[in-house]
Amino acid sequence: MFRAVLYTQWKWTRAALLVASIALFALPVTSVRQAGHGDQEWEAAEVLLSLSAWAPLYPITAALLGTLVAFVAWSVDHQGEHVYALSLPVPRWHFVLLRWSAGGVLLLLPVVALWIGLLLATATAQVPTGLSAYPNALTLRYLLATFVSYALLFVVGQGGKRLVGYLLVAVGAVIVVSVFDAIMGLGLGPANRIGAWLIGPLGPLRVFDARWLPIDV
Amino acid sequence: MSKAIETRGLAYRAGKSFELRELDLNVPAGSMYGFLGPNGSGKTTTIRLLLGFLKARAGRIAILGRPMPRGAPAVLARTGYVPERPHLYPSLTVDEVLRFHAAFHHEWDRAWADELVAAFRLDRERPVRRLSKGEIGKLMMLVALAQRPELLVLDEPTDGLDPVVRRDVLTALLEYVSQHHATVFVSSHLVHELERICDWVGVLDRGRLVAELPMQSFKSGIKRLRVAHAPSLLGDTPFVLLGREPIEGASEMWIVRGWQPPMVQYFEGIGATLRDVVDLDLEEGFVELLRSFRDAGGA
Repeated sequence: MFRAVLYTQWKWTRAALLVASIALFALPVTSVRQAGHGDQEWEAAEVLLSLSAWAPLYPITAALLGTLVAFVAWSVDHQGEHVYALSLPVPRWHFVLLRWSAGGVLLLLPVVALWIGLLLATATAQVPTGLSAYPNALTLRYLLATFVSYALLFVVGQGGKRLVGYLLVAVGAVIVVSVFDAIMGLGLGPANRIGAWLIGPLGPLRVFDARWLPIDV
Repeated sequence: MSKAIETRGLAYRAGKSFELRELDLNVPAGSMYGFLGPNGSGKTTTIRLLLGFLKARAGRIAILGRPMPRGAPAVLARTGYVPERPHLYPSLTVDEVLRFHAAFHHEWDRAWADELVAAFRLDRERPVRRLSKGEIGKLMMLVALAQRPELLVLDEPTDGLDPVVRRDVLTALLEYVSQHHATVFVSSHLVHELERICDWVGVLDRGRLVAELPMQSFKSGIKRLRVAHAPSLLGDTPFVLLGREPIEGASEMWIVRGWQPPMVQYFEGIGATLRDVVDLDLEEGFVELLRSFRDAGGA
């Protein structure tokens, strides 16, 4: 059963995963190459500054990748009003688990490509004194960030239109309160507070708030 | 007589405009049960309730002896389902659809599936989205049959198919049923199609079960009578009077159910004259049944 579900999701996402894998392999290779000076000695400050410019691409692509795979996992079932999935002789929780697991396995492909890119980039770099390469740590963080976004969007996708509706209403309410807050000068800052909680120590998006540098202090 | 499908007091509401009420279905095991009803009468909703896709507001459902929706996985393993609209994943090829479906059904009969692919002239490498409507209809029937079900639930399986494809699909269905004694629950608004293959019929209108009886009783029991000089008040009748309307002079046209020849004497008893008895075919009977139900306020 798992192989069958994995195959369907692979078929639906393979083109995007291939592009993502190439891009993620190229990201560390290109960024580290641009940070250095060829055979000359690499300056620590310049390396950090250069890599920092590329750093936002890691969490952004992690979020996009998780979102894409989660979206694709349910989109075909949504189009068919889930009739086919419901007609299969497995409990609903089992089918959800199959879909979730298959998406999780597929996410590994671009993450492995990133890991290989990081290993290659850091192995060929002249890491300045005082700095260290973190290919494994960055890969693990990327993997976690990808899974967090995937899991969140998977739940939203599985929840269907009703859950999406609730979320849109919640986002709309925050925007309305924020506008009201700004006009009245109340200083509540609801959007900032929610954002701070999301990436705070107990927030679900904590993993995104980090230094995304393959070479760091 | 054991029942493949049994519901008691089934109720469901979809918005304000539609509801199923007090639905009591009895589908005998081994029968071919035609579920008739006009478009929008609730056939598809009933089927989705039966298979556990929707949750009923009230009532109980038993399929193959198991309560639904609690027993859904076990029931669906023994039930082949062909929905009203294509449900197979469009990007998969015919071969991939068969492999996907086989992975979920332990009783999958690969050899017979291969035979049906050849018999239906399906291109194994063609994606579902590039199949014609007829080919998709055949593929859906194929996957439902090749899982060797005890019960087949077919929701308008031949709707929109050309006569040749319809014949292929029905032939495969009848061949399977004759060999495996499976129960078939088939919904349709194509009355003549059900007339040929079904031995039981249930008629649904506006979410209510109007009638449920053996097909033979349904076909032979509904008559159009031409009656003269009938009194306006009738009292008890030996048949079910579905409709009554004046035609010319002192004559009236009656539509009755449960007619038998000895009932002629009834007319002498009320001082009326029976001029003519006309057999109605199934479609006419169906239309008259619905009309009388609606005239009575849809119960």
